Amino acid sequence: MNILNSLKHIFGGGKTEGESAPLPAATAFERFRDVLRCNNSALELIADLGEKLSGDYIFDRQYIYNTMEGLEKAVLQSVHALNALCNNKYQILYSTYDRLTMRLNTVMENREDRDGVPVINIAGTSRSHYIIMGGKNAHLSQMLHELNLKIPEGFILTTRAYHDLIDHNGLRETLNAFETAMEASDCTVETLEPLRHSLEQGIHNAQPPDGLLSAIAEELKNLQSVFGEDLRLAIRSSAQEEDMYFSFAGQFKTILNVSSTPMAVFKAYLQVVASLFSPKALRYRLRVFPGEGHMSIAAGCYRMVESNASGVIYTIDPADPGSDAMIIVSTWGQGEAIVEGRVPVDTFHVQKKPPYSVVSQNISHKNTGLYPKEEGELSESAIPLELRNQPSLTASQIERLASYAMQIEIYYKRPQDIEWAIDRNGDIYILQARHLVIPATAGNKGSLADALKKYELIVSDSGSVAQQGIGTGQVHIVDTISDLNVFPDGAVLVSKRDSSNFIRVMHKTAAIVTEIGTPVSHMATLCREFQVPCLVNVTDILTKVSDGMEITVDAEDRRIYKGRVVELLAFKTATDLNISATKEFRLLKRLLDNVSSLKLVDPLMDEFTPEACETYHDLLRFIHEKAVAQMVEMGKDERRLLKDYRAVHLDLPIPTGILLIDLGGGIDATVTGDKVTFTAVTSEPLKAILEGMLFPGVWHTKAANVSFGDLITSIVNVPTDALAGQYSGHNIAIISKGYLNLSLRFGYHFNIIDAYCSDMTRDNHIYFRFLGGATDITKRSRRARMIAIILEAFGFNVASKGDIVTGRSGNMPKSEIIRTLNILGRIVGFTRQLDVQMDSDAQVERYAEAFLMGDYEIIGR
Amino acid sequence: MADQTIKLLVIDDEPIVGKRLKQAFMKMGIEVETFTDPIEAMNAIKQKTFDIVVTDLKMEGMDGMTILERVQKLNPKAKVIIITGYAQVDTASEAFRKGVFDFIPKPFRLEELKNVILRAMSGTLSENNKST
Repeated sequence: MNILNSLKHIFGGGKTEGESAPLPAATAFERFRDVLRCNNSALELIADLGEKLSGDYIFDRQYIYNTMEGLEKAVLQSVHALNALCNNKYQILYSTYDRLTMRLNTVMENREDRDGVPVINIAGTSRSHYIIMGGKNAHLSQMLHELNLKIPEGFILTTRAYHDLIDHNGLRETLNAFETAMEASDCTVETLEPLRHSLEQGIHNAQPPDGLLSAIAEELKNLQSVFGEDLRLAIRSSAQEEDMYFSFAGQFKTILNVSSTPMAVFKAYLQVVASLFSPKALRYRLRVFPGEGHMSIAAGCYRMVESNASGVIYTIDPADPGSDAMIIVSTWGQGEAIVEGRVPVDTFHVQKKPPYSVVSQNISHKNTGLYPKEEGELSESAIPLELRNQPSLTASQIERLASYAMQIEIYYKRPQDIEWAIDRNGDIYILQARHLVIPATAGNKGSLADALKKYELIVSDSGSVAQQGIGTGQVHIVDTISDLNVFPDGAVLVSKRDSSNFIRVMHKTAAIVTEIGTPVSHMATLCREFQVPCLVNVTDILTKVSDGMEITVDAEDRRIYKGRVVELLAFKTATDLNISATKEFRLLKRLLDNVSSLKLVDPLMDEFTPEACETYHDLLRFIHEKAVAQMVEMGKDERRLLKDYRAVHLDLPIPTGILLIDLGGGIDATVTGDKVTFTAVTSEPLKAILEGMLFPGVWHTKAANVSFGDLITSIVNVPTDALAGQYSGHNIAIISKGYLNLSLRFGYHFNIIDAYCSDMTRDNHIYFRFLGGATDITKRSRRARMIAIILEAFGFNVASKGDIVTGRSGNMPKSEIIRTLNILGRIVGFTRQLDVQMDSDAQVERYAEAFLMGDYEIIGR
Repeated sequence: MADQTIKLLVIDDEPIVGKRLKQAFMKMGIEVETFTDPIEAMNAIKQKTFDIVVTDLKMEGMDGMTILERVQKLNPKAKVIIITGYAQVDTASEAFRKGVFDFIPKPFRLEELKNVILRAMSGTLSENNKST
């Protein structure tokens, strides 16, 4: 007797309220495939754009415009397609689409620095703020949040504040004229003079925009509550491109030792902003960004660190770029004296590897140093006699500084110029970090090709470039994800296949080489984001290198050398040829930040909403997910399905009672009759599930020992979904060659499996839902937990609530989908009646472990 | 022995192209000069013999087809490679009729151009060897 069916009659099963009539299954499936098609054409364009960023392509502005135009259309098509599948349920996505598209237009027009907040605390910044923080502040934010290094506390006056300042003081027209003038090919500082001068004056005399002073006051109050009323600040320039591809070192103003009142900060801020228009800074801009008029400026307002010692680190020796040493320069007091060359300094050459031994040192006689004055700014003071000849750093400070410096260099994948300070407590603060620029030595042309001949080539012309660049380090072979836990700083990651899990070590990876993989994988996208030089598809690399071996990866010419190729490292440091500094490259990168990053990672989380979509990629992901969700519910309307389609019985050696509805290609066409056997099933996903269910030992026929109490519970506590009509009398599989929607009810629990597999990896998905059981909620929940453990072990995203478990997986090759479905088949069989055996929490682990070990017989024991 | 360093000239009004090509080919030991202004580039070609000229098709001032014709007049041995974002079959066949060494639509992989240049170089080097 079927208890649930009887209950369904009593409570009235059927459709969920408020939904319009569903599409016929065949139409739904067709439209589902439309969604996949549309999503694919959009994703292909995104991948195409991403590949261009690897540096391995020649493209121009026209390419960017054309592709972006195509992409906008393709994404809109996807929104249409989802609405066609779901009865226009996702109208809201049109406004999501508009929001994202408008944002991209802002980026195309180079106006995104006008969005966002005018004032923000550095502690609250993240990636999305980089564009309005200016380069220097963005780097400090990365030091703080990505590398967990100490930086001075403080807040940022963003580029939005700059634009507010311009508008509030009636300077917009002058600025527009100025920027247009800068774009002219024959522009010089002299031709700019009248406009430049009036902007500089206008800024010096500017009034604060509404709300700016109070926002500054708020930030100051918070800082003062921690550091006291007499807190002093350094107001540092942070122009859009400062410290990024070009250093702009010393071009803009920094005002030190500013008292912490809103007005003092604002006055200092004006000086910083005005320096954007100084003749010196403009000459520099015309040289590094010819033809580019627009650049805005932010400022960082940081607590002055009262430094005992401070200084600068070059992570390579400019005189010998290929060598294995960095340079630490240090003095007593404030470090500004060093970059200005005002005081005697100590110089240490330190090895770039642990234990960071000092190779050589030069301790000078330091009679004076810079210290903050009471009334502001800094002044030179005499150093106490006993300190003058003493090294300004201890061995352990040198070691710590060097290790931080290497962390920073490896994170940015380029030699760094780092300013630091050590306060009275001995804490090390990073004040600034930027790429170290060393001009390519003239007369060196052509010799590189010859110099490279003396190195042993491990790989030549093999593989594809996922991200260009040059990296050197010791090989660390990654077989399993756990190898990432012991990944050494600065190593070269070598692996059989690529994985987006590598993101965990990308901040400390010199380069990545994989034996298989493609330049359009998720990992490749991440490599471009993190600028990790990366070669994929390098044949037999694992047989050519071994753990600990030092290699140099040239992911430009697709070569791998044995040892450290100093000439290539020197070449890499010569940034006057740095391609990523060009306008088109920067535009493409900014566009891709707003197109291809994926913020909606886990579809089972609450944040998986249209509002949370930040990029087209998010939107496409959302669309795919909702399309799958629509398909998942397809099996629900059993009566209608059985009316619309001819169902055939699936005859298996185990009693599953499955009825098949074939939408095309799911059953061998030559087989006729009302019954088909396993061999006639041509639906690949269904076949895989059945193979799992039929796997020896998985299916237990021995009746479960259901107690009287369990039986009563099963009658009284029907899961809520059952009342909504989800429990059906039959087990139905809607199938096609590559698709499966399976609703399975065994005893008192319910499974839905929805899966699609094709040769297009990113189309593929598996959805798995499990609920119910005959026993009390504690036992059912234990079984749910056990299923969750197993699913997670097989890489599913899992959400569980009480006795309901939902698992999502996908974006993997067909073979992986098939393998995973086979496992799901085993789970279905294995857990069929397990809830009654779940009499203690210990059983959860025990059964999950047994399953993972392949010990399916445990149930019978 | 004559200096066998290959001399390459790149003309594209978008600086990114020249910059990228310079970076890549310098490393191969080729001598590279880049121009964004085709008129300036032609002046350079009049002063100095280049083995290979890579030029954009559509540019302000002078188009790639004209450059092809003039280069051939000045130095018939030079190999001209046209790259273009506006690939059209007509232009391609016209360019081939006029003796272009190869015609490559943008965007393209560096590797593709590299292979074309290597082909052009092997021709140039064997010709140079014959003449010495």
